[in-house]
Amino acid sequence: MKRSEFIDGLKEVLQREENLSEDMALKDIGEWDSLAVMSFIAFCDEHFSTQINGENIQQCKTVSDLIDLAKDHLED
Amino acid sequence: MYRKRAVIKAIATYLPESVLTNEHLSEEFGDWDAQKIYDKTGIATRHIAKQDECASDLAVAAAKRLFDKQICSPIEIDFLLFCTESPDYLIPPSSPIIHEQLELQGNCGTLDYNHGCSGFVYGLALSKSLIESGLSENILLLTGETYSKHINPKDKSARTIFGDGAAATLISSELLEQERICSFLFGTDGSGAGQLIVPAGGMRQRSTAETGLEKEFADGNRRSEQNLYMNGPDIFNFTLKVVPKAVKSVLDKSDMEIGDVDYFIFHQANKFILEHLRKKIGIPKDKFYLSIEDCGNTVSSTIPIAMEDALRQNKIKSGDKLMLVGFGVGLTWAACLVNL
Repeated sequence: MKRSEFIDGLKEVLQREENLSEDMALKDIGEWDSLAVMSFIAFCDEHFSTQINGENIQQCKTVSDLIDLAKDHLED
Repeated sequence: MYRKRAVIKAIATYLPESVLTNEHLSEEFGDWDAQKIYDKTGIATRHIAKQDECASDLAVAAAKRLFDKQICSPIEIDFLLFCTESPDYLIPPSSPIIHEQLELQGNCGTLDYNHGCSGFVYGLALSKSLIESGLSENILLLTGETYSKHINPKDKSARTIFGDGAAATLISSELLEQERICSFLFGTDGSGAGQLIVPAGGMRQRSTAETGLEKEFADGNRRSEQNLYMNGPDIFNFTLKVVPKAVKSVLDKSDMEIGDVDYFIFHQANKFILEHLRKKIGIPKDKFYLSIEDCGNTVSSTIPIAMEDALRQNKIKSGDKLMLVGFGVGLTWAACLVNL
């Protein structure tokens, strides 16, 4: 999966229509709630068969940090 | 070979009268409207026990409904099992108190066991063992829970998900050739004990003024150490790790493929987790029970409540092969096959 495809996937996870940019702070994204965290875990499990640790997600501050959690599975 | 086999004969359930609706939650917490709560969680109502109503009272009510079906009378019960994490007292156990209220006969054994989400399947294993070893003929397996009493009123997430309720299941001995409850798989991961916990109030940390102090957390929920805490993401990861393997294990033990199972009933934890697991494991939608609309997550009662509902809706019938999978608090899990 490409980095850009992952961001599109994230938009769907958040059920968000507006664009997402890598430098956006998670605390400023209204849709980033506890259910979104679960959806993000599900997304990574579905696409990469990998379980992302809850604590690691808690430590993410930006969209870019989230992408970094999956970077081993991304093409670019 | 004809042997005494444990057979599930009847199930009855009881939900307390008082109801917590999404409208009420929305009024109290303000950020999600009632429809959004329903869309996100699949839950419309949860039933909440009254102040003076305990898990044992709910279990007694479920048992009385079971006896009303007249499949078995109270004096025929020779063993009572009660699964709860909300006993009336630390001492004595609650099952003798329930025994008294149901007017069961004196030479009936009673046993409380402290278990949650996987509790019903563990209860089936205990029941099968008692019956097939010749120690018991008619077992009343009760599950009853009142998580509402552990949850802080200002913990929106927990109040949204959990509901109170009880179930009574009659498991009896029959002389049959084949096993009717079989292919058990058990699992434990104590490293996850802290992921679904009421930290204070037991022996490890007694209740004090300090443990009663409420704190606010990043997710906006408030709770004290005497309240229920649940780490949703870590529990979700746990289910992803163990549930698919548990299903495979039961299939292997039964020499079956997924397609040979008529219906799957998992612990009804939450709609999102269940849907994801269903897709991950490859279970068709019409063979998978998913409904927490009326009662939310009732912990150890979700599986028997689901079974009663599935029977009522003719989704399952006599002769069907049912796989039951419980998973959660402990962390523990258990699965088995039931030939209805």
